Amino acid sequence: MERELATVLDAPHYQAEVVADPAPDNNRTPATIVDVQGLSKIYPKKTTSGATGIWSKLGLRRSGPPEQFVAVDAISFSIQAGEIFGLLGPNGAGKTTTIRMLCTLLEPTGGLATVNGYDVQRQPNMVRQNLGAVLTGERSIYWKLTGRENLQYFAALYHIPPALAKPRINELLERLDLSARADEYVERYSTGMKQRIAIAKALLANPPVLLLDEPTTGLDPQSARNLRELILEIKREGRTILLTTHYMEEADQLCDRIGIVDTGKIIALDTPARLKASIQQLDVIQAEVENLGPGLLSEINILQGAERVMARDNESDGSCTISLHTLDSRALLPTVIDLIGTHAGRIRHVQVARPTLEDVFIALTGKQLRD
Amino acid sequence: MDYTPLTAISTRSYVRAILAIAKKDWLHFLRYPLEGMFRIIEPVMWLTPIYFLGQSFATSNGATGFAAYVGTVDYMSFVLIGGIISSYVSAVFWGMGFSLKHEMDTGVLESNWMAPVPRPLFLMGQTVASLSITSLNSVVVLFLAWRIFGFHITGHLLPALLAVVPMLVALYGFGFAFAGLVLLLKDANTMVDVANFMVIGLAGSQFPVQVLPRFLLPVALALPLTYGYDAVRGYLLNTRTLIPIHYEIVILLVFMVFMTIVGSAFFRRIERHVKMRGTLGTH
Amino acid sequence: MADATLVHRSLRSELRAMLASANKEWVIFRRYPSWIIAFLVWPVLFPLAYVFPARALAGPQGLALSTFSRLAGTRDYVSFIVIGTTIYMWFNITLWDVGLLLRNEQMRGTLESNWLCPVWRISILLGGSLTKLLTAIFFLAATILECRLLFGIQLLRGNLLLLLVSLILLIPCIYGLGIAFGSLVLRFQESNALVLFMRGLVAIFCGMTFPVTVLPHWMQIVAAWLPFTYAMHAIRAVSLSQANFAAVLPDLEHLLAFAIVLPIIGYAAFRFTEQRARRTGVLGHY
Repeated sequence: MERELATVLDAPHYQAEVVADPAPDNNRTPATIVDVQGLSKIYPKKTTSGATGIWSKLGLRRSGPPEQFVAVDAISFSIQAGEIFGLLGPNGAGKTTTIRMLCTLLEPTGGLATVNGYDVQRQPNMVRQNLGAVLTGERSIYWKLTGRENLQYFAALYHIPPALAKPRINELLERLDLSARADEYVERYSTGMKQRIAIAKALLANPPVLLLDEPTTGLDPQSARNLRELILEIKREGRTILLTTHYMEEADQLCDRIGIVDTGKIIALDTPARLKASIQQLDVIQAEVENLGPGLLSEINILQGAERVMARDNESDGSCTISLHTLDSRALLPTVIDLIGTHAGRIRHVQVARPTLEDVFIALTGKQLRD
Repeated sequence: MDYTPLTAISTRSYVRAILAIAKKDWLHFLRYPLEGMFRIIEPVMWLTPIYFLGQSFATSNGATGFAAYVGTVDYMSFVLIGGIISSYVSAVFWGMGFSLKHEMDTGVLESNWMAPVPRPLFLMGQTVASLSITSLNSVVVLFLAWRIFGFHITGHLLPALLAVVPMLVALYGFGFAFAGLVLLLKDANTMVDVANFMVIGLAGSQFPVQVLPRFLLPVALALPLTYGYDAVRGYLLNTRTLIPIHYEIVILLVFMVFMTIVGSAFFRRIERHVKMRGTLGTH
Repeated sequence: MADATLVHRSLRSELRAMLASANKEWVIFRRYPSWIIAFLVWPVLFPLAYVFPARALAGPQGLALSTFSRLAGTRDYVSFIVIGTTIYMWFNITLWDVGLLLRNEQMRGTLESNWLCPVWRISILLGGSLTKLLTAIFFLAATILECRLLFGIQLLRGNLLLLLVSLILLIPCIYGLGIAFGSLVLRFQESNALVLFMRGLVAIFCGMTFPVTVLPHWMQIVAAWLPFTYAMHAIRAVSLSQANFAAVLPDLEHLLAFAIVLPIIGYAAFRFTEQRARRTGVLGHY
């Protein structure tokens, strides 16, 4: 059933791709600023502890044919100048590995990637000049230096002449609302401020492309909201942004286009609206249930017309939300309610919802984005 | 798009980058004042048991047993010179690799390595910081030790530089290789501790290597550092050197060239490995 | 009765908690095997840093040994130094292990979850110390064995019962100090510097490598306030000069007094830190 659904979904998806592309003859339009073609990363798999010794680390000792782990599997996408492009997927899908290859920290095993026309493998220094990145968020700056000292330090590493660096640093501190505390140690900053100083660092050299790896992870809701505002602001000044996230709401809100990543592959790529439209013919029945019996899910699953059923525990009160994808919610809804009743479950709330990006992900992979 | 690049690469901008890295290390050093203070107190703490050990062997004519080996009764000056040289050795062992490793563990190394500068530049910046911090530290320690234990130079200061300079260059060359190694190891502390201790010990920082047992003496004589300690003492204290002093200088010069080449080659190899495997920051 | 608590506190449960804490430390210890190598290497490597200088000072054929043998009561400077450095290293290990036990939990962020448990908080520390004591005994055994094999010196000489008594009296001293130190570290947080300071006291004042009598008078007064001075003196006297009970009685009396007082000081320091943390709530920070 999974396969069938995927093929059903694939057809309109590819149509949409063709319509969306302004220059259908070629992926590399003049406005393409980040271009990724068949990029892959394969790691030799770690075997048992014995083989991870220093000699094997140095590559001086081989212990049998190494197993391989494909972290990124020949992905291709191109980002247009000025857009926010999101890579959405669960943890471990290969988003971060992709980003690391783009910012020259990791050597690709195969494929090609360019940033602003520069090849990440052959012209790493040029790529670095054209790219600002925030990878490890608040940990990418020195906590024992002040915010200003951090920026001065990185300005020197980015070869910014002192005469330009000083006003640039002041400007960024002002813009990111850090001026008042610029001369305090970063360790005294809030998480949101640390994140902002990391972004200021990424913007220092005025790069056309910005990479953000899970920018809002670990932030409180208010700081996350402010950060999303800031990202949109940075986009408005004409920069291109590539971000990864596993929050579908965030991807939906920020991104012009989204690549959905799973097990190292891009399995769908389009605007959020079109991605959702691609499964529009599906209804999503969401039921919040108490005392979920063990057999219930499998019984719903075999109902005529049920495409897929998922359950997620609500941590707060022990209840559980069942999501059922179906082509005809009206026909199925009474049966589902009856079934829940016969399993002594109590229904708190039922709704027929519009598909979200999460539902798109479920439809494509049969898995939930978050556990 | 209002994008105008601010990056302007020039020789001067490289020098600025090296100085910025050195300054960053200095700022970190200054922001742990207690640690800094202990870098001064600890050598004195190490020297004190040695000093009293010397006292418990001293005759009315000074360290006569010791003099039979090296030709001077001034055991404390001998040990002090050894201690100062050793502080550079330790700075290389503990400083070069571990500050990179610390940056890797905290996650800040990646944002450094994304900057458009060649990676060995980071080690050069660190070297500048390490040399200047250790030198300042040594001056203070030497002053304190001079007040507490006494310190006398009977030879000449300037020719001693002939031994000191190639030795330091070689040491930091070794530091480049070592820094790469530390990046790969999960828990390098014990290994480094033992290695540092053995090198300093065997090269004779606190005693003439002639007293080593027969099976250890060849090891000591195979360490180029041994001739560094010996030559500096030879110039400053007019001690009897192991071999004629100009041969020792030649050994140190060869050591310098060799270590610079091996060190940077090794670091490059590790850098490449890290780039392939992505150990960076993921520890 | 659906909400009956599962917590049943008793002395036995307290003991179980202590053992669980000991076991946890043991498991963590085993996970980092590099320590075992350190345990095998340091006992012989560290004293060499003083044995070789001593050998240099003694001169060829030991021609300058007369002063030392007069002051130390033995010509065997190797054993003399090994006894001093071994006690020093035992204390040093304890500072790092017991002293930083809570500090490491604090840095890992697990201290608070430990302290939330309804056990005596000192149990957690005592349990961990138990494991560290076991590893220290292993360390001492390794030292004795390695010295026998590599240096050809026999440390277990003289009246073995007297040696054992001295060592047993030293245990509460070292671990009492370790616990007191650990509490201070939680408060002041500059752990490395404090460890260096504490072990420096022993290295300088207690006669780790030299007879205390060569110290200036004021330093001898300081030495008199440290238990290690007496332990080193007693053990050297028994092992190297075949001293009898009467000869080491003054040392043992002092050690006994320290063995009673230092654990009390340790516990008091721990209580102080615990209560202060509850008032100021700084426990989770670092």
